[in-house]
Amino acid sequence: MRKFLDRYWYAYAMVLPVVVVIAVLVLYPLAQGVFFTFTDINEANIANPVLDRAATYVGVGLRNYLNVLSGDSSYGSFWSTLVRTLIWTFSCVFFHYTIGLGLALLLNREVRGRAVYRVLLILPWAVPAFISAFTWKYMFNAQYGIINQGLRAIGFDDPPVWLGQNDWALVAVIVVNVWLGVPFMMVALLGGLQAIPGDLYEAAEVDGATPWQRFRHITLPGLQSVSSTVVLLGIIWTFNMFAIIYLITGPNPNTRILVTYAFERFFSGASRDYAIASTYGVLILSVLLVFASVYRRALRKQGEVW
Amino acid sequence: MRRTTLVTAAAACLSGALVLTACGGGGSTGADSDSGEVTFWDTSGPNESPVFTKIAQDCATKGGYKVKTETVAFDAALNNYKTAAQGGQGPDVFRAEVAWVPQLAKNGLVVDLSDTDLAKDTGDFLETPLGSTKFEGKSYGVPQVTDSLALFYNKKLLSEAGVQPPKTWAELKDAAAKLGGEKSFFLNNDAYYALPFIYGAGGDLVDADAKKIVVNSAANVKALETAKGLLDAKVASTALDPTNSYSNMQAAFSSGEVAMVVNGPWSVADYLKGAAFTDQANLGIAPVPGDTAGKGSAPVGGHDYTIRQGTKAKASSIKFIQCMSGTDAQVQVAKELGLLPTRKTAYDNADVKAQPVVAAFEPVAKAAHARPWIPEGGQLFDPLKIAYADFLAGKKDAKTALDEVAKAYKDQVVPEYSIG
Repeated sequence: MRKFLDRYWYAYAMVLPVVVVIAVLVLYPLAQGVFFTFTDINEANIANPVLDRAATYVGVGLRNYLNVLSGDSSYGSFWSTLVRTLIWTFSCVFFHYTIGLGLALLLNREVRGRAVYRVLLILPWAVPAFISAFTWKYMFNAQYGIINQGLRAIGFDDPPVWLGQNDWALVAVIVVNVWLGVPFMMVALLGGLQAIPGDLYEAAEVDGATPWQRFRHITLPGLQSVSSTVVLLGIIWTFNMFAIIYLITGPNPNTRILVTYAFERFFSGASRDYAIASTYGVLILSVLLVFASVYRRALRKQGEVW
Repeated sequence: MRRTTLVTAAAACLSGALVLTACGGGGSTGADSDSGEVTFWDTSGPNESPVFTKIAQDCATKGGYKVKTETVAFDAALNNYKTAAQGGQGPDVFRAEVAWVPQLAKNGLVVDLSDTDLAKDTGDFLETPLGSTKFEGKSYGVPQVTDSLALFYNKKLLSEAGVQPPKTWAELKDAAAKLGGEKSFFLNNDAYYALPFIYGAGGDLVDADAKKIVVNSAANVKALETAKGLLDAKVASTALDPTNSYSNMQAAFSSGEVAMVVNGPWSVADYLKGAAFTDQANLGIAPVPGDTAGKGSAPVGGHDYTIRQGTKAKASSIKFIQCMSGTDAQVQVAKELGLLPTRKTAYDNADVKAQPVVAAFEPVAKAAHARPWIPEGGQLFDPLKIAYADFLAGKKDAKTALDEVAKAYKDQVVPEYSIG
């Protein structure tokens, strides 16, 4: 033991600050959040050190999990909300990736004014998210919004109520989120494209490969490491993307995803029900952990080192 | 990475920016010492806030303490206040909506004023607004303004069509034929604006005395069907996207596109900016229609002054509230903004009597339907809001929608009540 310490003390001393910081900033709040899921904590029984008031919440065992997992509408209809969250996540990431890749391919060519296009296409990313959200909310206004005015002008007499009590609301927020997220994908994929050596394309062209074959056998494999990372990041971000949905539609059950419901229960809903909100938090974390490990395993099978 | 930072920053900005900048009082630690500096959170909005700020400054000059007025968006105020007060931060004086006071009192976030001068001087206040400051027999606030909902109408459009302001929903339907159908009335699909229909039909949300949830009663089903009946008969329009409903209503009425809306006295300033009301006399105010004429079917609203638990300027805050809720200040507010005073003596003032909005609203507010002053009173609206919007959009029938509200009340809001 002594010998071990003599030899490695320096390494452990160097690691210690990180361990302490992680424990204080990540592990402790996480453990507390998990603990709350087994209690009935809410704003009325939480402790308040400032006012010298002691906590009066009590343990309730698995009741919160049972309530949430029963899919009851008073607890956010968990299963249908989960399905909606998955639809939201995968459609957003799908369009982010395909549109981002398309734009990256365009911008990777020698076109006149390429710098201008690059700046214009990056704009949605540069605008603060809540400004975009409010602007889109005006544009989607069923009566006065520019989108429905345009639709009426070209002959749709009865355009949809975009942000109403139906699934168009989900379509609307997906459109906004795609608009916001494409630039990131585009920039990341553009970087990936530029890292593919040009002589590969030249060699393929000499061998008589069609453009599609070049795309299929050089571009896509060359982008694989970038793609797998940005797609994973995109899925995690989108899964937890709360601001856009909440700012545009408010607490509308038709656009409710897991995080917006957790927020509703924590801050804005009927009461500050910290217990149910934490339960949602733990369930969201579990879903993402399962997803990330499956994704990693799939990548490893393809020989990706990650 | 950049994107997450932006989004987080935006969310933080919206939910907690004020919390972060809120003043935490001076450095003194003594329990009874007074920092002499009052921070006042005003939630009254850009039309009214300048007047309140000015009165606050006058009060401070007279009383010999300092006042800092911070305007907080009404929608975010309760949330920000709760978060701040829980952490010992936030304003010293908070303008709380009437339904918030019992809730804040229950959570221990506002000071019990029962043994202060503020609770001794209550004889002059109107009874219903005063009721909102009480919780379990103690006094937690001082009424600032009271309000209610009324029917606003465009006098020119009504007289051109040759109709009188309707007293019942049936009359409103008849008048619509002459006023151009859907252009006659704008229905806001928000929960608070469903209350005139509900109270008018003899319904209610909860029965606090009997500890019962009555939101899914037959009277309420009928009330909601009355509201939808107006849309189905094409005698009223609405914005089916709830997030835009209020702003569309304001735009439609102030531009003269619709002839009638239901709203409160706070909206007058918005209307007078509109093209239809460049001549102020064109704005007519009448009691909200009911199922039968002449029954007070509008809810009581309004705001109270409260002091934050843990304030470092309690004595100054009490002085500040005494001044702000005094007859002189109330008269000035009523005169300049048309908001309804909560002191009986303020109504005796000649200028207040001459104020057209106050004069029109006074009988409405006196007849208004009291709301249950329970801690959960403010939390009854969120579930109802979604159900009402679903129902008006034709997604659910009234009974199903209201049954779900009753279930949500039982599970989330008032678990100790029984449904029925």
